[in-house]
Amino acid sequence: MDLITEPLSFAFMQRALYAGLAVSVVCAVIGVFVVQRGLAFIGDGLAHACFGGIAIGLYLGTDVENAVWMAIPFTVLIALGIGFVLRSSHLRGDVATGVFFSFSFALGILFLGLRSAAARPVNVESLLFGSILAVSPEVLNVVLIVSATALVVTLLLWSRLAYAIFDPELAAVSGVPVAALEYLLLGQTAVVIVVAVKTVGIVLVSSFIVIPAAAGRILGTTLARATMLAVAIGAAGAAFGLVASYHLDVPTGATIILTHCACFAVALALSRR
Amino acid sequence: MSDVPVGGGEPQAPTPAWATSLERREHAQKLKQTRPDPGAPRVLDVDHVSIERGGKLIVDDVSFFIPKGEFVCLCGPNGAGKSTLLKAVMGLLEPTRGKVRIGGEPPERARHKVGYVPQRKSYSMDFPARSVELITAAVRGRWPAHVKPEERERARAVLAKVGGEKLLDKPLAGLSGGETQRVFLARALVTEPALVILDEPTAGVDVSGRAELLRLMVEISRSDELAAILVTHNLGAVAHTAERIVYLEAGRLLGWGLPDELLGQSSLTALAFAGTDHARHRDEE
Repeated sequence: MDLITEPLSFAFMQRALYAGLAVSVVCAVIGVFVVQRGLAFIGDGLAHACFGGIAIGLYLGTDVENAVWMAIPFTVLIALGIGFVLRSSHLRGDVATGVFFSFSFALGILFLGLRSAAARPVNVESLLFGSILAVSPEVLNVVLIVSATALVVTLLLWSRLAYAIFDPELAAVSGVPVAALEYLLLGQTAVVIVVAVKTVGIVLVSSFIVIPAAAGRILGTTLARATMLAVAIGAAGAAFGLVASYHLDVPTGATIILTHCACFAVALALSRR
Repeated sequence: MSDVPVGGGEPQAPTPAWATSLERREHAQKLKQTRPDPGAPRVLDVDHVSIERGGKLIVDDVSFFIPKGEFVCLCGPNGAGKSTLLKAVMGLLEPTRGKVRIGGEPPERARHKVGYVPQRKSYSMDFPARSVELITAAVRGRWPAHVKPEERERARAVLAKVGGEKLLDKPLAGLSGGETQRVFLARALVTEPALVILDEPTAGVDVSGRAELLRLMVEISRSDELAAILVTHNLGAVAHTAERIVYLEAGRLLGWGLPDELLGQSSLTALAFAGTDHARHRDEE
């Protein structure tokens, strides 16, 4: 038992565990819908849009800590823009995401370049790869509140969202407000991603959305079962990866993602039996 | 196409109230009654409907109605405005002019009266769902996380009606084209609608399955006295089962009448045999 209790005796590891569990659970639930909607790439797109928002915040004079919160409205706008292009054109989700991804990342680089030479240097590496072990009590509170809110909203709308994702036309005929739900899903995904970037970084955040959801989808015969499996895989991967990274003395975010990937491989193998 | 008669010139003889749809059709043919009896109770009423989208007129002043128990084929070439008109009938689109009424109510208030069988390509084919959940979703108006025993029994009964009882717990992704459309037909029937819309239901179904599926749809429509609209390009396969044909071209209603009468017209005949062996032999000659 020391293998588990020893690392968790530290306050920073406890905060990392709570943050990791919160982010992995909410990303898994949202991820099931996002993956089923054919928008697996959107996690990456919105994480990079978040970089654009942070850069605008830095240009306006805030520090990295506070610039992340300024990224929320920018990333939500990008998410709604992707939704608008999806609904008003015949473009596929990956194409719409790719366009907004490039736009916001280029905007981010532009605004970083526009900062005065006297401005404090930015640790781009911490933005890209995050630092779950450095989550402060304040950041943890925000992560928990945002994750819990997003989780409650998604679960309340689960049955309508599921119908809308299965067939927007059939759902609309049954009176489901398909467009409003899709925009809500995208906006909520944007907020969750910005918060998740604080813990796991821009590069790895989309893995929390895609991998547990994909593994759950492989094994789940119904959407409800696929969602429960995704949550279980996401949470177990976060907890196991955190503890394993402590003992192996390797980067935590990467260990969590590799654990999720191992779960995906096992799910794939089980589905072929 | 201006030579296609729109019918309705003859005086309309009243149809006996007791007649089944098949008897009504024979009765109408005997009387050369091109259009349905205007006094019959109307399930669907499309009244001078025009629809513009992006500044383009897609549907241009279309009027027709479907009485209880009538099986109608809505046909026309690509871009005729069939899908746009269907969306207005289902309440997904507001007509620019005119009105649609289902049992006397606007479509958005009559959703429970409409059963819809979509084209096979329209939904997410890899969605993790079983037939029982799809059918229950139609009853609840939302996707079920858990199906109650009474909902399961209702789904089983309606699947049995379409000859698909064994499909109840099968994942949708593993069904053949014909099996999938049986499940969707059950889904459309489970709410006991007054009007069933069948949007190219035999697309993606093998040739032998098509005839069987079509026979089933017509049979149910007649036994349950349901009004049904079948949208199809393959007019040849349905021309002699539909009671009436509504023919659209370039957004305009160019024909509404009995199949035998309208199929005498050249463009409708071309549509009926498009893509068939008849058409290939004719083209080769």
